[in-house]
Amino acid sequence: MTPEGISELISRVSLRDRAAFDVLYAATSAKLFGVCLRVLGNRTEAEDALQDIYVKIWNKAGRFAVADTSPISWLVAIARNHCIDILRSRKPAAVELDQAAAVSEPSPNPEQAAVASGEAQRIYDCLGRLEADRAAAVRGAYLNGDSYEVLASRHKVPLNTMRTWLRRSLIKLKECLEG
Amino acid sequence: MSPTEPDDNMIPEGDDFIAAEYVLGVIPQQERREVARRIETDKPFADLVARWQTQLDPLNDEYDAAQAPQHLKSRIDQRLFAIEVAASSSFWNNIAFWRGLAFAALAFAVIGIGRDLIERPARIREQLVASMETQGSSVRTLAIFDDQTKKLKVTVVSGDIPKDRSLELWLIAGNEAPVSLGLMVSPQVTEFNLSSPLLAKLRDGTTLALTLEPVGGAPGGAPTGPIVAAGVVRKI
Repeated sequence: MTPEGISELISRVSLRDRAAFDVLYAATSAKLFGVCLRVLGNRTEAEDALQDIYVKIWNKAGRFAVADTSPISWLVAIARNHCIDILRSRKPAAVELDQAAAVSEPSPNPEQAAVASGEAQRIYDCLGRLEADRAAAVRGAYLNGDSYEVLASRHKVPLNTMRTWLRRSLIKLKECLEG
Repeated sequence: MSPTEPDDNMIPEGDDFIAAEYVLGVIPQQERREVARRIETDKPFADLVARWQTQLDPLNDEYDAAQAPQHLKSRIDQRLFAIEVAASSSFWNNIAFWRGLAFAALAFAVIGIGRDLIERPARIREQLVASMETQGSSVRTLAIFDDQTKKLKVTVVSGDIPKDRSLELWLIAGNEAPVSLGLMVSPQVTEFNLSSPLLAKLRDGTTLALTLEPVGGAPGGAPTGPIVAAGVVRKI
């Protein structure tokens, strides 16, 4: 479905159109479920989260009109933020740290990177200009919802160092993206 | 450290970095709550957040779509509406609404909306669709005929599909007897190939129906079980 199609559906949903909600769900739930699975890493929690997310979408649809963003980005942001909130509230830091040590951050799928076009290509180009472990920290934070603690533990640096890394990386990234 | 790295002390923490940290999601829960509240009330700050979000959006492509279990949509509907699902059927017949959508791409969308969504240009052309449902059944389905592949794609939008029975799709043209188009093989999306004589019958006004049949389908070539969803094909 086109972005225009999704936008139309969201504005219909804001008018309490349940058929539009059905179609919106059919068209977008697989993507948002993918977000939940990746961030939460647990099917049962992902299923519960997806329900909460669509309840939010139904209730917040009216605010999409004032959001200066593409419709799918808006939906993914709702899903990501919800899942990250769950992540931050459920896990005692110690458990998170145990897991952090075990997980290594996957590189971008080469095929994905190769077919990425336009804007997507640009962010990968810019991430590519960062040192590899710093680019991995940015991707890991965004895609998996990694906290500072998890990132610091995985990259074996103190928390403040991780924060500094990230800050520098983001400044460079921004210069590159906007330059 | 390369010599070109700026001195950390020279970099102000600044709202821009706080916005970026929030979008990345790295900060603890309490801070997240505070930032979320600030987004609600501080428009310039909200703009910074939106800008970072836009810049990082392309990474969303890396989230692989995954089909959610069928029963979730019914649960969402129950939570939101707390009444039987079949109440709002009038929307399904609102042709103006359907026509307003760039609907042609939905068939792709229900399978996964990664790049299709971003790159596929809007194509507005006539298309045959049918929404199928019936009173007393929680099953709602959407049938879309793909003019390019000549396949009829049927998507279960909500409702539970029994595991110990088969759902069989029937085409009913005018007063003719139902003709089987085949069985739903996936609880989500099934593609049906139509023979040329049947293709000719699939047009505005034709009825499509799903019935509950023994595993493997109705033995005698005619429906034996109850209708769980039915609808009329519309050209939109």
